Amino acid sequence: MFVMPRRESLFRMGTSLGGIALASMLADEASADATRDQASQAAPMQPKPGHVPAKAKNCIFLMMEGGPSHIDTFDPKPKLNQLHLQEFVRQGQQNSAMESGKRYFVQSPFSFSRHGESGAPMADNWTHLPKVADELCFYRGCQVDSVNHPTAMYQMNCGNRFGGDPGIGAWVTYGLGSENQSLPGFIVLPEVSYPQGGAANWSNGYLPAFYQGTPLRAKGSPILDLQPPVGVSRTRQRLNLDLLSRMNQRHAAKHPEHDELSARLESYELAFRMQTEVPEAMDLSGETKETFAMYGIGNDATDAFGRKCLLARKMVEKGVRFVQLYNGTWDSHDYIERAHGNLVRGVDQPIAALIQDLKQRGLLESTLVVWCGEFGRSPDNGVRGGTAYGRDHNANAMTIWMAGGGVNAGHTIGATDETGMTAVEEVRPVRDFHVTLLRLLGLDDNKLTYYHAGRFKQLSQFGGKVIEPLIA
Amino acid sequence: MRVRILTTLGKPLTLLLLGILLGGHVFADDIAESSRVSESEALFVRRVAPLLREKCLGCHGQDPKLIEGSLDLRSFAGLKVGGDSGEAAVVPGEPEHSPLYLASTRTSDDWSEMPPKEAEQLSEQQLEWLRDWIASGAVWPDEDRVAEIQAAYESEWSAEDGIAVATSGGLDEHWTNRKYDPTGLWAYQPVQKPALKTDRNPIDVLIEDGLADGTDLAPRADRRTLIRRATYDLTGLPPTPSEVERFLQDPADDRVAFEKLLERLLQSPHYGERMAQHWLDVVRYADSSGFANDFERGNAWRYRDYVIRSFNEDKPYDQFIREQIAGDEIDPNDPECLIATGFLRMGPWELTSMEVAKVARQRFLDDVTNSVGETFLGHSLQCARCHDHKFDPIPTRDYYSVQAVFATTQFAERKAEFLDDENRAGFDEKRYLNRSKQIHERTLEEIEQVLLDNSQIWFQENGKDPAAWNQELKRLRSKGKVKSLFTSARNAMRAAGIPESDYPPKLVGFTPEQFGKERVARKGLQRLRWEQERYQPYALAVYSGRTVSRTSVMSPIRMPKDRWTKGELESSVILTGGDPFSAGEAVSPGVLSVIENQVSAEIPVAIEGRRAAFANWVAAPENPLTSRVIVNRLWQWHFGDAIAGNANNFGATGKPPTHPELLDWLAATLVEENWSIKAMHRRIMNSDVYGRSSSNVSTQPYQGFKTRRLSAEELRDSMLAVTGELNPVLGGIPCRPEINQEVALQPRQVMGTFAAAWVPNPKPEDRHRRSIYVLKLRGLIDPFLEVFNVPSPDFSCERRSASTVTPQVFSLFNGQSTHSRALALADRARRERESDEDAITRCFELVLSRSPSREEMNEMLAHWSRVQEILPASPPERSRPPLEVVRKAVEENTGEKFEFVERLHANVDFQPDLQPADVDRHTWALADVCLVLLNCNEFVYVY
Repeated sequence: MFVMPRRESLFRMGTSLGGIALASMLADEASADATRDQASQAAPMQPKPGHVPAKAKNCIFLMMEGGPSHIDTFDPKPKLNQLHLQEFVRQGQQNSAMESGKRYFVQSPFSFSRHGESGAPMADNWTHLPKVADELCFYRGCQVDSVNHPTAMYQMNCGNRFGGDPGIGAWVTYGLGSENQSLPGFIVLPEVSYPQGGAANWSNGYLPAFYQGTPLRAKGSPILDLQPPVGVSRTRQRLNLDLLSRMNQRHAAKHPEHDELSARLESYELAFRMQTEVPEAMDLSGETKETFAMYGIGNDATDAFGRKCLLARKMVEKGVRFVQLYNGTWDSHDYIERAHGNLVRGVDQPIAALIQDLKQRGLLESTLVVWCGEFGRSPDNGVRGGTAYGRDHNANAMTIWMAGGGVNAGHTIGATDETGMTAVEEVRPVRDFHVTLLRLLGLDDNKLTYYHAGRFKQLSQFGGKVIEPLIA
Repeated sequence: MRVRILTTLGKPLTLLLLGILLGGHVFADDIAESSRVSESEALFVRRVAPLLREKCLGCHGQDPKLIEGSLDLRSFAGLKVGGDSGEAAVVPGEPEHSPLYLASTRTSDDWSEMPPKEAEQLSEQQLEWLRDWIASGAVWPDEDRVAEIQAAYESEWSAEDGIAVATSGGLDEHWTNRKYDPTGLWAYQPVQKPALKTDRNPIDVLIEDGLADGTDLAPRADRRTLIRRATYDLTGLPPTPSEVERFLQDPADDRVAFEKLLERLLQSPHYGERMAQHWLDVVRYADSSGFANDFERGNAWRYRDYVIRSFNEDKPYDQFIREQIAGDEIDPNDPECLIATGFLRMGPWELTSMEVAKVARQRFLDDVTNSVGETFLGHSLQCARCHDHKFDPIPTRDYYSVQAVFATTQFAERKAEFLDDENRAGFDEKRYLNRSKQIHERTLEEIEQVLLDNSQIWFQENGKDPAAWNQELKRLRSKGKVKSLFTSARNAMRAAGIPESDYPPKLVGFTPEQFGKERVARKGLQRLRWEQERYQPYALAVYSGRTVSRTSVMSPIRMPKDRWTKGELESSVILTGGDPFSAGEAVSPGVLSVIENQVSAEIPVAIEGRRAAFANWVAAPENPLTSRVIVNRLWQWHFGDAIAGNANNFGATGKPPTHPELLDWLAATLVEENWSIKAMHRRIMNSDVYGRSSSNVSTQPYQGFKTRRLSAEELRDSMLAVTGELNPVLGGIPCRPEINQEVALQPRQVMGTFAAAWVPNPKPEDRHRRSIYVLKLRGLIDPFLEVFNVPSPDFSCERRSASTVTPQVFSLFNGQSTHSRALALADRARRERESDEDAITRCFELVLSRSPSREEMNEMLAHWSRVQEILPASPPERSRPPLEVVRKAVEENTGEKFEFVERLHANVDFQPDLQPADVDRHTWALADVCLVLLNCNEFVYVY
């Protein structure tokens, strides 16, 4: 058995051949990390400086779950009008059953126009978003590794296809903390039904539990068990809390060695404060009629997403670091005209309103807005009888757009081929998109790491490169 | 100041290639002239070359097609040319003007930090070498000279630089020949039991050896503390007041009394439950498969119960290993052996037609390879999937050799008759599933009629002739076909070569509602097939055979009849970069070569027998990893900290053992005592170090006992235990307690539909079972357990965390379940004791294993009456669970909203827990005192 004081061995053995020093350093770092965690237990969400100057302070991430079609929204492919209903066959081990067999190219049912000074093309069923066309930076070069929803969702949200890793919002709050200590730093506004893969899409993964995304519910209690059961008055709760506090204080006096006790005591007081502060923060009743109308609140098609967008603005105003909104499902395998038509109607006005509203309040500069799905859609379709066509999944092409803090607004970066089958310019994997997003928020992915299961993990998994053209 | 990057854009490729060609010639003259090795040369060969290889070449030369910023660090010429910045990377003699050095310091204003990853930065020592090399002239000898220098210095340097380790060999020679710091190799050394001449427990001797001289050791904890500690550690439950009383009153000597206590606890059936919980954390147990469908693994519970039984029987650990890795090969006729192989299937996995089949198969192979490594060998093998292990002597070849052991491992839900000691109660709950089934079937019948009706309309509207269609329908009906007429007719049309435009399209004329309902019913039936597995005599298991080609797995897989002949016999190769479509060199089934000289293995290449041979290798007494890994876990289960701090990682990046001799003593003793886990508990728990008080301020580990917070499951189980509601029965199909109702009814998207709502068991005794039996769905975790750090089953959990976060307060102080427990406890105390004082005392005894002080008593009595004064005039109305829930969704075919009703059949029979309306006001008010007790730190922590 070799037993040797480690520091001594470090100097004697040196870097040598094969990563000894690194290994030693890792062990040092790991324990330093553990200490840092313990130290930050009391205030893990305190705002922290980033690694590089930030372009944006907060992020609103609009996740169009299910895979919106780039071809039918922001990346027109006139070539498909010529190829419409032409057959071809794609085969091979590298395809899923969904992609194999006899297939048809299908044209988009939507017409397109260019908007703003930038001349960004949008399908004509977007009638509100064109108003903010010059605020958007479109990116057509991103590719993902999976054509399956949950795995692609996990990759887009957490960097890793297989689930269990921390979500982007968890990484960002781990890196930056949050301005508001009475609200969660990472808030999720899911659809009534959770997406495929569920809450793991906003998990804290192996990061400490503080960084988990908190889903706020549109109805009922916004945070689970925020309020005690019916019939427990605030007075009664305060009495119970006081008794608990006395018991815990006496106990702590007997156990001065046990420092977690005070943290646990504190958490009860914070919880008691949050019971009033969270509902206040979520209350939209102070907003004007004009604001409601702007977001389409009260209108059946846009009410649900309009409320989410307005709430997102409020959260950012209150200093919440990262807000993720879900919409969907955009998984239009059939009848894409109807399906995407309805989906666009539901989000078009609210999103345009959000960007305008952030801008008029001077918040757009400091807020990064991201719109994307987990992948794009195919220019072709399986055998559907030729009448009710939609599109299947496509990992090789998609459209992402960003607005606000630091993005190269008014530009389209990257391109797909003539049918939209695959990205051909500025082609980058998801990890590069993640690294870019972190960079805009002032974080360096290579420094934003956490030691877990034998190595330093990071959002990009193994490191990535900033997509510079996306940054102004 | 603008930070420059070592490289910028656009260096012509030709120049770069020229640099490579010239590289060898730069110092040609020196070699001929001098055989004296300069300081710079030596530094280069010994330090700088390996440093460049390790830290830089990944992006600057390894792949000549992808050279970052045109900076090629494979040769001196490349260094001199520099990257896109146009500056030479090194100025010989001037480290402070050499961009390579400046970038590496990470403190330069001019050059951006390299390597980019902070975790890979150079150490002070490494920077010094780089600086000294440049300062001494940055001499870069050519290959021959390098070899010459290496040969001359080999023995001198290797004694100082670490040792070589023999393995099956890396993907390149540098890896194969690299040297290791011996401190990172401790786990591969043979276990050496320290020879101790002592009458004391060797554990104490070895622990105290590690403490500074004169350390003030904490005294032995008092009996009340010890019985709580030991009972929680071995059963995960609090001691009952009578157990506490008996132990306190035991006239025997403290140690003897404690020994007797341990014997009782080790015989408790709850012992197995507690140990199984630890084990299931490591193996990632769940009752569902995760990903898009999160289908239920209806028979996973039999594996969970197998683990509980194994611990309760004190099954020798080596046998436990063999059964889990290769039970089916060892004895396919023993249901227990088949059930045990559920271990191999614990990872999340599914195959849908949306996924590439080969990728899904590879996901399993990668998962099982890593899982076996983490679980039994303390090695996260996935690090070697794409490249040779960066820190440990685990070549990629070994990774794929171990993987080859599983290349013939196939999934099946195998027939395995129920054993006598399996709990088969509660199977009658399947009547609720049958009701759901009937409803789905009826929906599909209705939908079928809609399609047939719409077809006729379609023919009319499109002006097509329905004759052929109607004739086909008639033919089908005459053959007695009643189901799926529409689809059958369409298939017949297609087969007859009729153009698609001449007969109705799929799902003709559906409204959004119908699209949705059809899908919900069809997928609902699919999901039920998995849930119905719960009651069937089948095991979540594997077999050895050829790989059958599949595009999706939508129902349980049964054993094929032709497993030896049908399908592909997978050949095993190194997958370059871990990519299933990049086949590299072939490998044979094998083991970790780094310890093969100590414990060899002949793994057959035949379809069957690979796992059995591999399992024997893992479980061999002389395998230095296996016994250390399990005793290290056991130690952690008792002390909170393991001896080697990362129980799943015994490599160089894991924490080295704080007490290596103790670890070896335990490992050797385990093997000597026939791998008996219970014998280990006796050894450990009867030691002084286990019995120490936690109340002293400890500055060193093991000076006193380390306090821990109850785990999520212990917390829930303890509350049920103290109220008397806990149903202590062992094993059986998963139970469903009441969870936060919003979460229970939360719609959860799975592929093409919604997963069924969480519907609690109707009877209290069925829901109030230990948490280990709670249905564990990957897609729906009980938020109460989750906030108290129940680990996600996506990763192996080597150690629970115990964070303090505010949502815990919401769950434990506001949540309905604690309020229900508090009321049940109040009711119990009042039923069992006459006076108010006695009732309070009873609550303290049950929750805290002690009586209240006088001060506490007065405080509690005052609180009780104060609360009673401010209670609402009448209790809240009795709540009834909903009998149905309306699901609203956006239908994916149409993007339009649709809704449907999900019936919650079991709720019809629901019997609620005790509610305020069931008790008098005095009891109701006492519940607030109980709520406080259940929240107090004294209850939540184990001392």
